[in-house]
Amino acid sequence: MRKKQPRLVVAFHTTAGAIATERLCQACGMEGRLIPVPRSITSDCGIAWSAPPNLRELLEGKLQQAGIETAGLYDLLL
Amino acid sequence: MREKSWIREYGWILLTGVVVGVAALILTSAGNPKNMGFCIACFERDIAGALGMHSAGKVQYLRPEIIGIVLGSTLAAAVSKEFRGRAGSSPACRFAIGVFVMIGALVFLGCPLRMVIRLGGGDLTAVAGLLGFLAGILVGIFFLRRGFSLGRAYPVRKGEGSILPGMMILLLFLLLAAPSLLRFSEEGPGSMHAFWGISLIAGLAVGALAQRSRLCMAGGLRDVFLLRDFRLLSGFLAIWITVTIGNLLLGSYHLSALSQPIAHSQHLWSFLGMALAGWGSILLGGCPLRQLILAGEGNGDSAVTVLGMIVGAAVSHNFGLAGAADSVAADGTYVIGGIGTAGMAAVALGFAVLLAVTLAHLPGKEEAI
Repeated sequence: MRKKQPRLVVAFHTTAGAIATERLCQACGMEGRLIPVPRSITSDCGIAWSAPPNLRELLEGKLQQAGIETAGLYDLLL
Repeated sequence: MREKSWIREYGWILLTGVVVGVAALILTSAGNPKNMGFCIACFERDIAGALGMHSAGKVQYLRPEIIGIVLGSTLAAAVSKEFRGRAGSSPACRFAIGVFVMIGALVFLGCPLRMVIRLGGGDLTAVAGLLGFLAGILVGIFFLRRGFSLGRAYPVRKGEGSILPGMMILLLFLLLAAPSLLRFSEEGPGSMHAFWGISLIAGLAVGALAQRSRLCMAGGLRDVFLLRDFRLLSGFLAIWITVTIGNLLLGSYHLSALSQPIAHSQHLWSFLGMALAGWGSILLGGCPLRQLILAGEGNGDSAVTVLGMIVGAAVSHNFGLAGAADSVAADGTYVIGGIGTAGMAAVALGFAVLLAVTLAHLPGKEEAI
C-alpha cells in the first residue's frame, strides 16, 4: 500500500483560479498538479492544487503577485 | 498503478451509485414510468405542469422525488454543519443556462441521470445522448482551460440559502394538504407514479448520499478528462451497473433501439440535446442533480439554476420544444418521434446562448460589456 504523503492543498473559489494556478506553476517550473478538492475540506465539487508542503511560502507569494484568490491552504495527507 | 485505501476513497460514491440505482428500480416497480425511476428533467417538468406553468396534460404531477432530493441534501448538510448560504455568482446567467440545459434534456427526453438509467434498461437510443453529453462536456472543458468562470460566490445569510428548501417544504404541504390546487395527469407519464411516501423517502436517501459523496454525472466525466480522476465517474458507472443488473433480474432489460419507453430514435437530436445539456452543466459546475444538491446545501446560485430549469421545462412544453416518444400507429407502422422545427431552433438558440455566455466570461472580457 502506498503511504500517504503530506501535501499542501490550495482550494479556490472558482475552477478558473485552479487552472490559472496550474498555468502559473508550470511557467515557474513549480511542482504540483490539479486534483479534485478533497471532501474533507469542502462539500463543493471544485478543483484544487496539490503541491509539496515546502513550496508553501513561495506559492503564496506567487499567487498573491498574480492576483489569484484562494479559498484556503491546507496541509493534508494524500 | 497507485494503491490506496480505495474503500475510503471510493466507498461513499459507490454506495451512492448503488443506492441511486436501487431506488430507481424500486420507484419504477412501484409505479414510476419505465426506465424513469429518476429523471431530474422530467420530474421538474412534471412539477411545472402540476403548478400550471404549462398545459401539457400528460406530464403534470408534483414529484416528491425532487422535494426529497433537495431536503435530503439540506438535512445531510445541516448534520455535518456544511449548510452555508452562498450566492452572487452570475445568477442571471445561471438562470438562462438552466433554461437551456432543461430544453436540451427534454429534447433527449431525459437528464444525465435518466440517460444512465435508460442505458441500464438496454435503451440503445440513449447511446446517442451519452455521446452528445460527452461532446458537450469536452466543449465545456475546452473553455474551462481557457479561463471561463461565472465568478465566485459570496457568503450570504442562511435565510437566503434556505429559500429553495423552504419552497420544497411548501410544495410538499400543497401535495399532501391542498392537492386540489394542483394539476394531476390522468394519462401519460405524469399519471405514472409511486406512492408519494416511497418517492419522498427515495429522494431523501439519494439527496443525503449525493450531498455526502458529491455525485455528479457531468463532474464525473469532467474529472476524467481534466484531472484523470475516476472517483466521480465510478458513481456514474455504479448506477449503470446496478440498474442493468436489477433490470436483468426483474426481466425488464430490453436491449434495443426501438420501442423503448419514453424515448425516441431521432439520434442526431438526442446527441445535440444532450450536448447542450452537457456543455451547460460544465458551465454551471454540475449536472441537474448536482444543482438540486447544491441548492439544498444553501447555494442560492444553484437555487436560481433550478428555477431556470423549471421555467425551461414550462417553455419547452408551451412552445412544443420537447421530444415526443417513438410510437406504433394503428396500422402497425413504427413512427419515429423526436422534435419538430421549434425544438431544433431552440437547440440552435441554446448553443448560441451558451457560446455568448462563455465568450462574455473569459478572462479579460468582463469589462467589454
